[in-house]
Amino acid sequence: MSLLQVRDLHTHFISRNLDNEIRVAKALNGVSFEVSRGEVLGLVGETGAGKSLTAYSVMDLLKPPAKVVGGTVEFDGRNLRDLEAEDMNKLRGSEIAMVVQNPRSSLDPLTRVGEQLIRVHTAHTDTSESAARARAIEKLGAVGIPAPEQRMRAWPHELSGGMAQRVLIAMALMNEPKLIIADEPTTGLDVTVQAQILDLLRELVVTHNVAAMVITHDLGIVAHYCNRMAVMFAGRIVETGDVETVFDNPSHPYTRTLIASTPERLKEGKQKVLGGGAPPNLYNLPPGCHYVERCRFADESCNKPLSLDQVGDGHFAMCTRLDAVREGWPS
Amino acid sequence: MLMRRLVLAIPLLIGILFFTFMLIRLGGQDPVGLLAGPTATTEEIEIVRAELGLDKPLFTQFWLFLGDVVQGDIGKSWISNRSVTLDILERIPITLELLLWGVALGSVIGVPVGLRAAFRHDKWFDHISRGISLLGFSIPTYFLALLLLFVFFFLLGWSPPGMGRISLLISPPPTVTGSYLIDGLLAGDLEVARSAVAQLILPIIAVAIISAAPIVKHTRAIALEIISSDFVRFARASGLPSEKVSRIVLKNSSTPVTTFIGTELTGLVGSVSLIEFVFAWGGVGQYGLNAIIRGDFAAVQGYVLFLALFSLVVFIIVDLLVLVLEPRAVAE
Amino acid sequence: MADLALDGAPKERSTIEKVWGKVVGISRRSPTSIIGFVIILFFGFLALLAPLLMPYDPIAANPNLILSGPSAAHWFGTDGNGMDVFSRVIFGSRFAFGIAIPVVIIALSIGIPIGLYSGYKGGNIDEAIMRVVDAFRVFPSIILALAVVAAAGPSLLNVVLVIGILDAPIFVRVVRAEVLALRSSSFVESGLIVGNPTWRILFVHLLPNAIQGAMAQTAVRAAWAVRISATLAFLGIGIQPPTPEWGAMIRQGAEFMVNGQWWVGIFPGVALILMVLGFNMFGDGLQDLLDPKRRSGGK
Repeated sequence: MSLLQVRDLHTHFISRNLDNEIRVAKALNGVSFEVSRGEVLGLVGETGAGKSLTAYSVMDLLKPPAKVVGGTVEFDGRNLRDLEAEDMNKLRGSEIAMVVQNPRSSLDPLTRVGEQLIRVHTAHTDTSESAARARAIEKLGAVGIPAPEQRMRAWPHELSGGMAQRVLIAMALMNEPKLIIADEPTTGLDVTVQAQILDLLRELVVTHNVAAMVITHDLGIVAHYCNRMAVMFAGRIVETGDVETVFDNPSHPYTRTLIASTPERLKEGKQKVLGGGAPPNLYNLPPGCHYVERCRFADESCNKPLSLDQVGDGHFAMCTRLDAVREGWPS
Repeated sequence: MLMRRLVLAIPLLIGILFFTFMLIRLGGQDPVGLLAGPTATTEEIEIVRAELGLDKPLFTQFWLFLGDVVQGDIGKSWISNRSVTLDILERIPITLELLLWGVALGSVIGVPVGLRAAFRHDKWFDHISRGISLLGFSIPTYFLALLLLFVFFFLLGWSPPGMGRISLLISPPPTVTGSYLIDGLLAGDLEVARSAVAQLILPIIAVAIISAAPIVKHTRAIALEIISSDFVRFARASGLPSEKVSRIVLKNSSTPVTTFIGTELTGLVGSVSLIEFVFAWGGVGQYGLNAIIRGDFAAVQGYVLFLALFSLVVFIIVDLLVLVLEPRAVAE
Repeated sequence: MADLALDGAPKERSTIEKVWGKVVGISRRSPTSIIGFVIILFFGFLALLAPLLMPYDPIAANPNLILSGPSAAHWFGTDGNGMDVFSRVIFGSRFAFGIAIPVVIIALSIGIPIGLYSGYKGGNIDEAIMRVVDAFRVFPSIILALAVVAAAGPSLLNVVLVIGILDAPIFVRVVRAEVLALRSSSFVESGLIVGNPTWRILFVHLLPNAIQGAMAQTAVRAAWAVRISATLAFLGIGIQPPTPEWGAMIRQGAEFMVNGQWWVGIFPGVALILMVLGFNMFGDGLQDLLDPKRRSGGK
């Protein structure tokens, strides 16, 4: 039984333009995936595919005009979309913790690091200040920060990017979460620091038996650090499965393009997702497959509604032209 | 940062002095006549002409002028027939009393309204407070002062007439600070203090209203920016209760809001001058406006210089405050 | 982009629907701009049709009817010279526009070239220009305007020139900021490679892209011009009574107000507030619409 099960999630940006016409940008169009304890799911795709939006939809952190309009988010036996705002807030930072991009600007600049760790804990538990302090020091140590007692008194601006990201991870650990969502956790960090942070995350998943979801546009990160992966395109998961399976046998033409465009991916581990063409217009998506305009295997069957179909053991893809792709792709 | 500000201030001050110096000489009128005033006798005019060294080249004249200013000699007002420096120094506490109380009241109203508007972004409170603050931006200062007098003095009779800082029937207290309210209290004269307060209320309200409009607007903008910052978003994602998130927003707004109110003080001296003018307040502002209107140019020079120095002092105080409020500034 | 309803199906709109849709759309995004626009239109209408709308000559004194209160014959009463306040208030709108429009034009035509040049050139020239622009901020604008007008000699032309010049730094700053953001963009570089002279890059390539921010400021600056020119007149610098200018009328009314003859000063004051408010509301909305950073919404 998975910890988090997202089913058919739809998130739209609903606004009015200056001509008073209602405009709907369909940013998420039926996102489905799951994550279990002890595993790392990599959510990969190009900018604008809806990766971060998926995370914010799950966390119920959307701001107007973005709105979840359909689907279910089941977490640990509860449907999060049915929760009261207050209960949802209790869940955030305790059962589901986030590690975000730009760690330095994500820390409150006017509060010492230690206080920030402590307040995340006391906000969710009845612990005493001193117990929370001891815990904060312990967690700072656990994420590999030297001299944690001294670091407690540091201001955010005194931390390097990598150090700040460790602090965020320590903060995520403060309340023993069941799920950690890491949104582009290493963008903007040095390559060596990137590897340290991701190693740390992966290690924590095992030692703390949590589930983790890593959002990235970097297939190298997925290949190195994730157990399973989900490829996103224009608001949908187009392919998902174990990392080895998908890399060995990519089924969706978009996944294939991604992998093909990162030839030295396994050696380098830092190649960004390429793959030509503009993202589709979210205001006017094609009725069937969203990839149809960029796909060289497309035919009229691609205009029919489609679903994630099983193509192997725990391996799913959303494509009607699987056979053609398999035969037609140059190896 | 503070040192930089001080170093930059020197050319700025010289520029301002040059500007006031040229103001008189480029006006197309005889500077001697302007500086000596219409009541001056021929001898007096000759004395002023010699003092100014008008026969010397412009640069030398400016150099002499600079030398005088450094020694605190801005010239003599023909209206008061006294040293402009003395005139202004003695009026500074009078203006400050009005300005500081007014801006304090304006901030007490404006900051919470601006914050609330930001927290209620795009809700009715936001729209209404925005409308009212636009009205505050649009009402001419002197007209507001007149309106207040009309309503509270003429119609309701709650306020004394706007004629000075104390009832004409009461003799002012001995000068200690220059504020009749404080001096009255120091002298233990409650009647003086009460009269001073009664005279203060309307002008203070006028300053408060005029200062509150921009304070609301900027506080709202500052808070909105902080609300959409990475760290507030992250605080939300960490499930901090909304009161705690609000407290983070408040704390982080404090420095930019303080800085804004400080810099606003420098612009408000202009509005306060008009309010002083309507209420016959007798501070630097009224002195300066009268000097401008009646062409008392030595006094105008003094007034302009006062404004520049006042801005400078305010900027320095604001810098020091930031140093206290911001851990980042200390590190730099 | 396609015109979409909720179900995603394009729907046809008639011209009237489109125009109305635009009005509703803008007022939904920025209701203040529409209200402001209506107020400005109203005063524009007053200014244009003043001769037709004024029941009396605005400067014809009636010695038999001094300081008479609002009545059927004189809606806003008469002033200390026996002049009809209603006619004078209407005529005052001509002064307001007559000052605001040239002031903004002067400020734009000084501020834009300097801002373009300063932002484009950068370096010491830019630094020097910005120091001067900053120096303007040391003084309250009203005092600066007063002092300079008084020194230059208080004529209407001087009032307009001085206010216009003193307002130029605002546009210098806005345009410069936009140019700085645009300077390294490809269309400027391609213009340079082709060998265009500086003025051509500034005015043909940069100006159209940098002007939006300046345009967004114009209405607010017009409000400022109306306000500050009236303040000068109120203090008796520049326009003098009995000229039917609002500031001068308030000056005249000030002495009567505390004696109960409120109509002499209140009506021109309300007209002044309304017009400044109109420009400010319109300007506030304009900034919202033209400046994408100020738009709300989005993730």
